Amino acid sequence: MKRVSVDVAVVGAGPAGLAAALEARRSGAKRVLLIERDAELGGILQQCIHDGFGLHRFGRRMSGNQYAQAFIDEVEASGVEVRLGTMALEVTGARVIYACSKSEGMLEIEAGAVILAMGCRERTANQVLICGDRPAGVLTAGAVQRYVNMEGYLPGSRAVILGSGDIGLIMARRMTLEGIEVKAVYEVMPAPGGLTRNIVQCLDEFNIPLHLSTTVTRVNGRKRVESVAVARVDKNLKPIPGTEETVGCDLLVLAVGLIPENELSRGAGVALDPRTKGPVLDDVFMTSVPGVFACGNVAVVFDLVDYVSQSGEIAARGAVDFIAGGLCRQPQYVPVEAGENVNFVVPQRLRHGCAGARLFLRVKKPLREAVLTCESGGRMLMQKSLRHLAPPEMIAFDLAGRIGDAPVAVSIREVTRE
Amino acid sequence: MEAKEIARKLNKAFPDAALEAELDARGILTIRGECAGWEELVKIGRRAAKLPGVKNVVNELSAKGVSVPRKDYAALRAKGEAAGTIDEADVVIVGAGISGCGVARELAKYRWKIVVVEAADDVAMGATKANNGNIHPGHAVKSGTLKAKLNVEGNRLYDKWAEELDFELQRCGAMGFVTSRPLGAALKYSYRQAKRNGVAGVELVDAERAMELEPGLAKNGLGPRIKLALWLPSMGLVEPYQVALALAENAAQNGVRFLFNATVAGVIVENGAVAGVVTEKGVVRARYVVNCAGLYADEISAMAGDKGYTIHARRGVIAILDKAAQPEYRTLCERITFREVRRALEHSETKGGGMCRTPEGNVLMGPSALEIPDKEDLSTTPEELQYAMGRGDDTVSYANIIRFFAGNRPADYKEDFIIEMSPVTDGFVNVGAIQSPGLAAAPAVARMVEGIVTEHAAKTGRPAEIRADWNPLRRRRPEFRHMSRAEQDALIRENPAYGKIVCRCECVTEGEILDALRSPVPPGSVDAVKRRTRAGMGRCQGGFCQPRVLEIMARELGRKRTEVTLKGEGTEVLLRRNRGEEAGE
Repeated sequence: MKRVSVDVAVVGAGPAGLAAALEARRSGAKRVLLIERDAELGGILQQCIHDGFGLHRFGRRMSGNQYAQAFIDEVEASGVEVRLGTMALEVTGARVIYACSKSEGMLEIEAGAVILAMGCRERTANQVLICGDRPAGVLTAGAVQRYVNMEGYLPGSRAVILGSGDIGLIMARRMTLEGIEVKAVYEVMPAPGGLTRNIVQCLDEFNIPLHLSTTVTRVNGRKRVESVAVARVDKNLKPIPGTEETVGCDLLVLAVGLIPENELSRGAGVALDPRTKGPVLDDVFMTSVPGVFACGNVAVVFDLVDYVSQSGEIAARGAVDFIAGGLCRQPQYVPVEAGENVNFVVPQRLRHGCAGARLFLRVKKPLREAVLTCESGGRMLMQKSLRHLAPPEMIAFDLAGRIGDAPVAVSIREVTRE
Repeated sequence: MEAKEIARKLNKAFPDAALEAELDARGILTIRGECAGWEELVKIGRRAAKLPGVKNVVNELSAKGVSVPRKDYAALRAKGEAAGTIDEADVVIVGAGISGCGVARELAKYRWKIVVVEAADDVAMGATKANNGNIHPGHAVKSGTLKAKLNVEGNRLYDKWAEELDFELQRCGAMGFVTSRPLGAALKYSYRQAKRNGVAGVELVDAERAMELEPGLAKNGLGPRIKLALWLPSMGLVEPYQVALALAENAAQNGVRFLFNATVAGVIVENGAVAGVVTEKGVVRARYVVNCAGLYADEISAMAGDKGYTIHARRGVIAILDKAAQPEYRTLCERITFREVRRALEHSETKGGGMCRTPEGNVLMGPSALEIPDKEDLSTTPEELQYAMGRGDDTVSYANIIRFFAGNRPADYKEDFIIEMSPVTDGFVNVGAIQSPGLAAAPAVARMVEGIVTEHAAKTGRPAEIRADWNPLRRRRPEFRHMSRAEQDALIRENPAYGKIVCRCECVTEGEILDALRSPVPPGSVDAVKRRTRAGMGRCQGGFCQPRVLEIMARELGRKRTEVTLKGEGTEVLLRRNRGEEAGE
């Protein structure tokens, strides 16, 4: 077995991993190793040929590929060691990675710090408990995207999409452009799951109807999908009897949520947050295992790739600090509490005495006008007015100033005008 | 009892139905007429089968408002006859489920030409595939039945099968326990039945011994509350499709041929003896036809002129949970509650299964049990899923489901196996109504059929001869996920294809997929690859690996990607190329 020793090892070369590897080099780490299972860098961005990426970071609209390429070019010039076609099988709590590839066999990688950037996976039809037949033609949006955008094949002629998350919306437009008739998008929740701009650009402009509070209850068709049954749902998201309708189609596309891929993290003993399904992180995106960091969608499912890259950079700076001995190995933490209207906040805790942090949160419900507050021990750390908040859109902000030993409470209060 | 008397009794018991009955010399009761619904139709059949003098029931009742779809055998038969004779064999086995594969493998030791014809595109596609994999000890089957005998025998023979065929068999043992003293009677009843049936190692044990046998009981605090427990050390676990595959591969190594996508549409009978089958692909002539057709065994038997039983489909829904949801017990351990006992009493044949696990470590829930009119209806319903999920403990959560599916059990009305040389058509052997515990009984079923066929051959002056070159051994192919890091390293160095992980959830390599595609009974669809390698069986359900498996299959099998199917003809995953790329295909 081949043994390798590096300063920082990054698992996964999607947007988070690329940014992390690059930032680790920039911050002074000598040997940075980037491990990627695929034959190319870029992760899922490779199949994101639509635009809308990079508005925050680059100030222009780019396709997913272009966004990734901007990082890939820098990574290639930066001296980051890249191992493609290499799959990490195990990460230990002692920061040893076992990874294999065709050319090198099994690698035992000893890393000063490990950055987890494995991304996420899609929920499936089974996981959302759709009953009925199990024919060909039931696919997740990401799988359809891969078939259509990377392999050049169409898995259906008439599609129904369940889930109005961004991938579902993007695929509604993409399939339409390829000549697939998109019958409708159904969303079990009373509000859309994706960004408003995607509703407008991907559905409205193509006259694709969006049915809220409606779900697919059953798939019909023994060999290939012939139709799906859809039904309105009540407040508890249960189908309302008598509202069922049959919609003819030969493809059901599921865009019903993403789950961080934390199997390697779990193996390393990393504590997970049941709410985000990602690791419990601190202000430098270190997990509960010293020297093991996480970023991107394995940490928490982000909405914008710009935030994914940012999280990679935060983790990388933390990792470089860690190997330099700048981070306390057994830090004292204060929790970050999700208060009024806040679904979750990442990171979930901050080190005593740290000099602020970048926080990411999602709201519980749409709010027209609100005030974001961070309080700690009766002290107001910050206050900020916000408009047009919705659960699909993450809110990122910097909390400045030294953190004491009292919990930090993050709340969003709705502003109602007379 | 006479037919008239039987009809009178049944009409009285089911006043909504209008029934006629006919009883032949063999004791086969044929019921005709109309009844109120499917549930009643099944009840009538079951009641009739319990009447004295009735050996089995042919249920030709129709149920009001229920249309029962039938296969268009005439068209398939015409197609097959037009193709003419495509093969000649000594033995044709109809059906490649656990029974058909088991019989094929047993008979492969003789100098006979054997052909297995199967309607689906792979082995194990019927009841075998959708089975919970329990190798039942034989305590739960009514004493004195063929089922009881073959279950106990089959369970014992599994070690030999597992050793020779190298599939995973885990003798985990099973425990049923009660925490209320009056319920102990249910366990004592099971214990006596187990003893009568000859179940090996069965014991009634106290709390202390129960906790020794199942450490999980001490951990969760239930142990000290145990009043009595029934310990069945011979309970085993397998992946049922892997057993069928191992049997099929060993049979193929020994010269047995498999003909897939070949529905049998006719049985050729000449001078009272069987002479072959007409499949949709052509005629296969043979001296013996062994009917292991599962749900269709009754229809195949009728084609051979022997209408002796009716198979009705009993659907079961199974849910598979994520490996992250670790089973609480090492054994199959279940607390027997009043609810469970009542359920067992009310639905003596149909209560379905509870919570167990697969040899790979997934918790498995179910199956449920529901009588349905359409043998091909493998759809799931929320109610059946709820039934399957409802038989676990508090540790079971819907959030952990990664897959749920249904299978249909081929039940007859006598609720026993039917294994015999047909008294009507010589050379035609029925292996019918093989449902639970058919998987556990399979080795004994295969042996019994071997006996029937070889005895007949000897009696008719053409005794079977053992092949000198028969090889009973089949080795499992490398399973990367079960190896140590050093072994994995060595394997990749030997063949770099093992260094590429295709399915990351289940850690399946390209090398394993290539091995499967080059195996003695090669897979023809994405799902067939899944059953052989586990690629796509994990939590993402093929979201990542399906495009990659599809690509490997297209490359290896020399097919276009639009020709690769999910699960046989008509289930192509990809329909056409993108706009502007049509020229490329």
